[in-house]
Amino acid sequence: MSIRKGKNYPYGIHVRDMKELCCDLPIENLPAPKKVYLSMSQHIGAPATPIVNVGDKVKKGQLVGQASGPVSANVYASIPGTVVGIEELVNGLGQKQLHVVIENDDSGEEILLPEIENRLGPTLIERIRLAGIVGLGGAGFPTAVKLTPKSQLEYLIINGAECEPYLNCDYRLMLERTDDIYKGIKYVAKALNVKKIILGIEENKPLAIEAFKIYEDLDIVILKKQYPMGSEKHLIYCTTNRKVPVGKMPFDVGVCVQNIKTMIACYEAIDLNKPLTEMVMTVSGKGIENPKNLKLALGTPLTDVVEYCGGIKERAIKLVAGGPMMGKALIGLNHYTRKTDSGLLVLIDGETNTAEPSNCINCAKCAKNCPMRLMPMFIESCALAGDFVGAKKYGAMNCLECGSCAYNCPAKRSLVQSISMAKNKIREMKL
Amino acid sequence: MENKLYKYSSSPHVKAPRTTRQIMVRVCIALAPAVIMGTVLFGLMALLLIALSVLSAIASEFIYLLIAKKSFKSILRQFDFTSFVTGLLIGLSVGVQTPLYVPVFASAFAIIVVKMLFGGTGKNLVNPAVTGRIFAFISFTAVMTSEWVAPNIASLVGASSVSTGATVLTGMLNKEASVMPMVSNLDLLLGTGVAGCIGETCKVALLVGAIYLAIDKVINILYPLIYVAVAGLFSVMLGGFDFSLFLPSILSGGLILGAFFMATDYTTTPNTSLGNVIYFILLGLVTAGLRKATGIEVVSFAILLMNLFVPLIDKFVTHKPFGFIKTKKTKEKKNG
Repeated sequence: MSIRKGKNYPYGIHVRDMKELCCDLPIENLPAPKKVYLSMSQHIGAPATPIVNVGDKVKKGQLVGQASGPVSANVYASIPGTVVGIEELVNGLGQKQLHVVIENDDSGEEILLPEIENRLGPTLIERIRLAGIVGLGGAGFPTAVKLTPKSQLEYLIINGAECEPYLNCDYRLMLERTDDIYKGIKYVAKALNVKKIILGIEENKPLAIEAFKIYEDLDIVILKKQYPMGSEKHLIYCTTNRKVPVGKMPFDVGVCVQNIKTMIACYEAIDLNKPLTEMVMTVSGKGIENPKNLKLALGTPLTDVVEYCGGIKERAIKLVAGGPMMGKALIGLNHYTRKTDSGLLVLIDGETNTAEPSNCINCAKCAKNCPMRLMPMFIESCALAGDFVGAKKYGAMNCLECGSCAYNCPAKRSLVQSISMAKNKIREMKL
Repeated sequence: MENKLYKYSSSPHVKAPRTTRQIMVRVCIALAPAVIMGTVLFGLMALLLIALSVLSAIASEFIYLLIAKKSFKSILRQFDFTSFVTGLLIGLSVGVQTPLYVPVFASAFAIIVVKMLFGGTGKNLVNPAVTGRIFAFISFTAVMTSEWVAPNIASLVGASSVSTGATVLTGMLNKEASVMPMVSNLDLLLGTGVAGCIGETCKVALLVGAIYLAIDKVINILYPLIYVAVAGLFSVMLGGFDFSLFLPSILSGGLILGAFFMATDYTTTPNTSLGNVIYFILLGLVTAGLRKATGIEVVSFAILLMNLFVPLIDKFVTHKPFGFIKTKKTKEKKNG
């Protein structure tokens, strides 16, 4: 065991962290909903293919969506019941996705994955693939793909930074399920054949740091409270002093970064033979009556979640899936929880910013704060003028969309929106 | 409840509270000590000049936008106090003997020609206040530079007040023996017994405002300090390493006002730390050099000149993305 301070990284911002709304509340179990809507694309890559038909009886833990390619993930039924629909539904993000709708029959029947044959590396990875585990930090990249790098890695870094304001689910899990996380970490380290394990935790979570002290083989790195400390590249830099070169991936510097929740999912899949059917989510914001940390079945409609938390206050004007810095706004409550949703925020006026953008005054705060050292104001002006070659030159493709630039912009410009638009155009035009 | 629609926008959904308007209001507050000291030193006439200048600046912006068919309500909602700052700076940088129409014309020129015609706040190429001042200086040379009025408070150190006809700096630059020995650095700092522009004479008031801005993180105090130090040292060098010139060259003329309030304007400074250092060093060199060459006060001309180099600096001095160094090394290896 060793505890050390992380390396300083001078760029980035300090955000009001607002975690006090529910950081002391233990995770509660949301009662199984009447109906679940399981999206077939809860991950990056090809959508899963439904393998059930309308009218079929399914048990909890039964495969309903088959991974349809190397980069894809299985989807399992999260409640027992009857399939009542396989339809294209528009979710709260405005995306049209194929959903399998299951109606609960309250039978409580559950099936598990077959007992794992051995605990060797390839078997473990195969199990993680089978269980439909994806990066639960928000990216949703299939974990099994991440665990099969082209070359031998040196470090496994566990991301316990949780730098997004409001969100507490990783923190609560670190306190309540410390041992399960540790077991998950050990399995993943074994699958990767990696000896050095680093756990990065932000300094504002002393209890979590305390909880992990007992494990001899974890190298705990205390990170400064700074946004975006949980970004993969910055976490790697602050814990191992390695810089991921522009356009390269973490495995190019011998590192694999995994999320806390993913570790628990891996543990459950390997030791308890449970596929990924549940998720942990922070419901917070000043617009919700009772902020809570919840454990719920995948595909639960947000209306059920909101009802359990006492409902939405009249003053609420914005719903966000995920954290306030990188999460996506929701049009309404017609959204169904997915593997990657780590939060539901209900924000009121004054809490979320509604100011209209005004002219850029060139204050250069965006460039000063950008953790990727880009020039957001130039990328934006290029993007708005349609000069995508220029936007690329100023580094648009390196943007994390972390929102550090727009957070501090005095003119309240939608920098992330413009840069994200430029990125899409550059990809489309193959510049 | 299910059918209620919520606001939809791109991330981030929370933002820091500071707005452009708040920044500009802070600059106005920072200039308040200078306005007060100007009034104390030069009387109510000075306050009237500043007030007219501010009114003219704001009125110009409103009239321009009304002609551009913006509704009065939307103008009021988007009013960001930048023209208030411009008006204040122009009012502070004329002498109290100036006729009332001069700051009015200068502010109107600064707002309409320099700012609004280029697209409003943040789109101007050069600093409106500086350009307005130069406009007044060139258009009304005779009334702007004749008959400097001595302030109400006499010198703390010297026996007699400064003779009219030349500000300290002009006298010093032209090596007029009658001016040089009579002015102490303390007088220059406090503005007592020194003739000059309304806001530029009392340096303490300006420095108090600058420190407020620095503490409130509106400006980075390092850059204007670089400017002032470089300008002072270069003056010393040009004066044949006469170090007694260092403080007078900093404390006389419009250098302090220009350095802390005009040169630090966001719009007309580079966007990177390195670019800013380059910009302010060059600014110091140009100021000291031009002062020596022309024998008149040139801070505003130096700022105007260097403003034009800002896009050039921004083109060549940009950040290298995080993780750039390694790719550079591999490139070098390939070339080698």
